[in-house]
Amino acid sequence: MKILIVEDEPKTGDYLRQGLAEAGFVVDLARDGLDGLHLALGGDYDLAVLDVMLPSLDGWGVLQTLRRQGHELPVLFLTARDQVEDRVRGLELGADDYLVKPFAFSELLARVRTLLRRGKTKEPDVLRAADLELDLLRRRVLRGGVRIDLTAKEFALLELLLRRQGEVLPRSLIASQVWDMNFDSDTNVIEVAVRRLRAKVDEPFEPRLIRTVRGMGYVLDTPEGG
Amino acid sequence: MAAATVDPDGARRARRPLSLTARLALLFAALAASLLIVVGVVMGRAVDAHFRELDDHELSGKLNLIENLMRRARTVAEREALPQRLDDAFVGHDMVAVLMRDDEGSAIYALHANRFDAAQIEGTPLARAGAMWQKDGRQFIGREETLVLSAADAVAATPVRVLLGLDISHHARFLDEVRARLWLGISVSALAAALFGWVAAYKGLAPLRRVTAAAHGLSAERLDMRLAERDAPAEVRDLVEAFNGMLDRLESSFRRLRDYSADIAHELRTPVSNLMTQTSVALSQVRSPDEYREVLGSNLEEYERIARMVSDMLFLAQTENGRLPRRPEAVELADEVRALVEFYEALAEEQGVTVRVRGAASVSGDRLMLRRAVSNLLSNALRHTPRGGAIEIEIEQADEHATLTVKNPGDTIAADQLAAIFERFHRASPERHRHGEGAGLGLAITRSIVVAHGGRVTVTSGAGLTIFRVTLPSAAGAQH
Repeated sequence: MKILIVEDEPKTGDYLRQGLAEAGFVVDLARDGLDGLHLALGGDYDLAVLDVMLPSLDGWGVLQTLRRQGHELPVLFLTARDQVEDRVRGLELGADDYLVKPFAFSELLARVRTLLRRGKTKEPDVLRAADLELDLLRRRVLRGGVRIDLTAKEFALLELLLRRQGEVLPRSLIASQVWDMNFDSDTNVIEVAVRRLRAKVDEPFEPRLIRTVRGMGYVLDTPEGG
Repeated sequence: MAAATVDPDGARRARRPLSLTARLALLFAALAASLLIVVGVVMGRAVDAHFRELDDHELSGKLNLIENLMRRARTVAEREALPQRLDDAFVGHDMVAVLMRDDEGSAIYALHANRFDAAQIEGTPLARAGAMWQKDGRQFIGREETLVLSAADAVAATPVRVLLGLDISHHARFLDEVRARLWLGISVSALAAALFGWVAAYKGLAPLRRVTAAAHGLSAERLDMRLAERDAPAEVRDLVEAFNGMLDRLESSFRRLRDYSADIAHELRTPVSNLMTQTSVALSQVRSPDEYREVLGSNLEEYERIARMVSDMLFLAQTENGRLPRRPEAVELADEVRALVEFYEALAEEQGVTVRVRGAASVSGDRLMLRRAVSNLLSNALRHTPRGGAIEIEIEQADEHATLTVKNPGDTIAADQLAAIFERFHRASPERHRHGEGAGLGLAITRSIVVAHGGRVTVTSGAGLTIFRVTLPSAAGAQH
């Protein structure tokens, strides 16, 4: 997977490149809008991460030119201005998602993966991790063959963790995907929800599947790395 | 300050209205002048009538005198001596002119006859009353009567036409002089009245100038000054009160702004100092990767706290600048509340708190923001409800507005705390500053969202029950 980053702030650009590269992507970094546009038009990218405020040509300009030339390249916007106008304008111009600075890297990573996954793979009807099994059609969960009763939201949370096995999911993404809450709650409600899910599907069993990654979020993976 | 310099050209272009002082001075002058003119006219008429009466009286006196003398001429000798007697009688009466003629028109007696008009001398009769004429630059009134000269000896009684004239030039001169002085007096009085009016208005408007001077002296650092309401006259007291009220509001806004900056600094200091301490301790010696990971993770938590605070403050600033909401849509409050209750379900169960929702209402607004506003109320209620308590959410639809109340049992909030509960960085108690809780911006955000939607939010607390009430314009009302 090849990602283009267009970001003029030196530190942000470098860390984004490093972070995405370490997450397994091939990353190119452009420092201004025109360079970014040329790279985007020439290279074969799967996704562009575009800052709005750029020298020579701003993010809107890059996006507009791309879309006018018929490029379907998915674009994720980074905006420092937390303005509804920006959001609306970006989406109207054909951006696929946006993130407001400051953001957590785990949040960016999760969104990048969501965009890249979009419409690509057909999800199986049964999701599995170790001896945990989630049956989407029958709406039931088995662990080591034992049936576990979950509430609707616990089911949705487990489904999200299973679908994105091995990915660290930030709390805000969980709140947004499971409960459709697109803002930060000033409570530890996600922590509690994950703890309760863990108590049902994880704690009585071995191996432990759901982990807390300090400061970043939650991840479900099997200890073997599978 | 900005208002004073907004459009200097416009102010110059439009003609300035006359100052109040000038208006009052002019008014006083006009008033004094018209009053004096009326008095002058009335007085002039009275004097005029008085003189006329005096002159009439004089004429009658003279006629009586002539008549008497004529009556006494009973003999021919006496009749012949009549002119001499008349002369004697009119000695010293230079004002008088007399012309006496018999039936045929031949003069029996004449005194200063040249003072009469040619026509009168010819025989044209005088007007019955108030006959008046001018000759040689002098003014006269006159009277004409037919008297009877008594019979004397063999001579029969004969009618005599007596023409009597009186020089009244001195009266006319006097009246002219009086009139001239009256005009002078009126002018001087009008000027004096204008001056007094100006002084009175100038002195009377002194309190206004004090207000102006005070307004000039205002600055952000000197908002504590107030005008004395006691020594302001009644007319200006309202203005002074309004002015002081404005100062109160300005001062409290400025104080809040100052406190706000101080609060921001304070709120940032804690996580920044945590970060610095943690990082420098971690770097003070070589540690295992796990230990470094632990430090970085902890740092990330602090960063997130700062980031959330920054975005909350940005959100507040935007909402309060009227930038929100965009694109209102019909929002079913009950649906949003149920979604939120589902979101907080795990937390509520963990705390042993139940949440009940009743009622339904539809409002117009930004779904995401309204959800956020209610979310903050709900999380606030969850924070303060003791184990085993129940939070009740009621939604009601009235004609023009919808209300949403969130009731939670818990410690009664003191009145002074209630007043500040929607302020930024307000916390119920300082020691509540637990990790994972916000910076005390939640209720401030709720209020700014509600206000941006044209609604309001209030709070009451008593008898262990705290009630937040949100009133929003209903969807039907908002769509006209």
